[in-house]
Amino acid sequence: MPREDNASLVLLQGTPQKDVVIKPDAPSTLLSEKHADYIASYGTKKDDYILILYESLHVVDVNKIVEYIQSLQKEDGSFAGDKWGEIDTRFSFCAAATLALLGKLDAIDVEKAVEFVLSCMNFDGGFGCRPGSESHAGQIYCCTGFLAITDQLHQINVDLLGWWLCERQLPSGGLNGRPEKLPDVCYSWWVLASLKMIGRLHWIDREKLRCFILACQDEETGGFADRPGDMVDPFHTLFGIAGLSLLGEEQIKAVNPVFCMPEDVLRRINVQPELVS
Amino acid sequence: FADHSVWDSWFVFRLCSLFKKNYFIFCRKELILSGTLSPLKDLHLGKLALTKFPKSPETWIHRRWVLQQLIQENSLPAVVNKGNLGVAPAERIHRLVQEEMDVCSEAAGRYPSNYNAWSHRIWVLQNVGKLTTKVLLDELSSTKYWVSMHVSDHSGFHYRQFLLKSLIGRTVNDNNTLVQNQMGNEQNSSLQTEEECEGAEAVCVEEQSVDISHYLEEELDFCTDLIDTYPGHETLWCHRRCVFYLQHHLINKLPLLSVAASSVDSSDETLYNSHPNPTTSHMAQVMDVDGLNESSSKQGYTQETKRLKRAPMQDSFGPEMEYRFIDKVLSTCRDVDQARFATAYRKWLVTFLGQ
Repeated sequence: MPREDNASLVLLQGTPQKDVVIKPDAPSTLLSEKHADYIASYGTKKDDYILILYESLHVVDVNKIVEYIQSLQKEDGSFAGDKWGEIDTRFSFCAAATLALLGKLDAIDVEKAVEFVLSCMNFDGGFGCRPGSESHAGQIYCCTGFLAITDQLHQINVDLLGWWLCERQLPSGGLNGRPEKLPDVCYSWWVLASLKMIGRLHWIDREKLRCFILACQDEETGGFADRPGDMVDPFHTLFGIAGLSLLGEEQIKAVNPVFCMPEDVLRRINVQPELVS
Repeated sequence: FADHSVWDSWFVFRLCSLFKKNYFIFCRKELILSGTLSPLKDLHLGKLALTKFPKSPETWIHRRWVLQQLIQENSLPAVVNKGNLGVAPAERIHRLVQEEMDVCSEAAGRYPSNYNAWSHRIWVLQNVGKLTTKVLLDELSSTKYWVSMHVSDHSGFHYRQFLLKSLIGRTVNDNNTLVQNQMGNEQNSSLQTEEECEGAEAVCVEEQSVDISHYLEEELDFCTDLIDTYPGHETLWCHRRCVFYLQHHLINKLPLLSVAASSVDSSDETLYNSHPNPTTSHMAQVMDVDGLNESSSKQGYTQETKRLKRAPMQDSFGPEMEYRFIDKVLSTCRDVDQARFATAYRKWLVTFLGQ
């Protein structure tokens, strides 16, 4: 969780831009072994997690899953998150990604689904959770990913969106999710993956971002935190590593920007949406 | 749980913190569906929870579900459903909306740039209330002071952008479908009762042609004041982009949705091109967005100024004034960030509005 109270925000003239300062002694190399140990030990604390995800599609009831997702699509093409009916573009992405992995994308009304997502596009090129909602990097990732899966990336104004995305980069090198928010390592994924999908990854200062992500590591426990010095957790560890992969980190396997999964896994099931080059 | 003493505020407040939030919220849904817990009481419960957890996504999501239940209740014949408050449905809806505006406002004050609170506020106007001119103008008026005290709150300013954009939508619709508006507000998804239609007619009398340009001008001036008073706030510059875009759009009277399918290309296409094109870009290098690179040396981050053919000037007032404003800021400001944002704004204008 971003700790907003750490940033000084005083309404005086010459207010410094909200950002973090990376200390000179912050980690600057990838501590792979430490992270492996961290994840392994996290797995032993069975009270702290609900589920471990494996590469085992054969154990799930594909038809049931497809039926369930179909039942969540509304007339306007949007998707609810569950039977209680909350609409959010994140659910459009979840629906499309799930069905794409199962090879059942045609089970939903794709055209209507696309229409709804596009109705969430804003003047700044970004996307919100519902039509009229504020652009948000997380929602942008979901909508861009959705459009990649449904082969509709050409509907995006990539220069406009790319511009909004690279404005997320702060002097520290980290990325935030919206204007005047603190940087957070998970946005290194949401923003970076979006840039990759629309072919604008080079618009970010990659070296500075890499420094920021590495600074979010905890040298003692392993794992990544949302920003340097904070408590680590698996969520930010995943996105820190995935972000580094997109930046070309050699020690890490190639990660697909749409699904946040290893490319070799997706290659095997032949699910690799075309991206903007 | 049928015993109402259980819903003592303090007890409820502690309950919020103690139970695993998701499961507790699930229980509340079951209680509402079985008629044991009244939706209004549950909204009160949620309001308390938000004082401690102003961001809590589950609380906002559940709140929308409860409001949906109330809206459905409202659709029953007025005879059967005199309502919890014993007032006409339209009045009840109005009170509900006002209450939600207050709840959102409080939560927005408790957590900076509270996306969940502000997006809920928008949802309420779109799904519970009506996007009438009166409502939109009231909200513009009632949030003005708040945003001036929270100049970093991008969500707050975005809310005003939503209101202004909705006003433009209303103006366009009003001009085109005045007769239909007199029959009721067909833009809104909430159900119409006879009472509401009468109310809508009365409202329609006020809703003559709203001078939307006036409100946009006012907003731009408001933005100018804040930019001058509080240098170095990206939110204010983002707000300016939107207000200027809305003015530009309005002047050009182009459909808003044409923004969705355009791309910046080698031709004279502006942001408003409605023909979908495969996206191409001339940018082989890193995008020099903020001008900081001109004065700093960033390794591995090369500069490239984008060259574009300019679209024909359709409006000579807007962009000229903006350039003058930007130049004025650049020549008088002493804040590095302010200069950076002003420069970025100019580049944005040039690049995307073809000005």
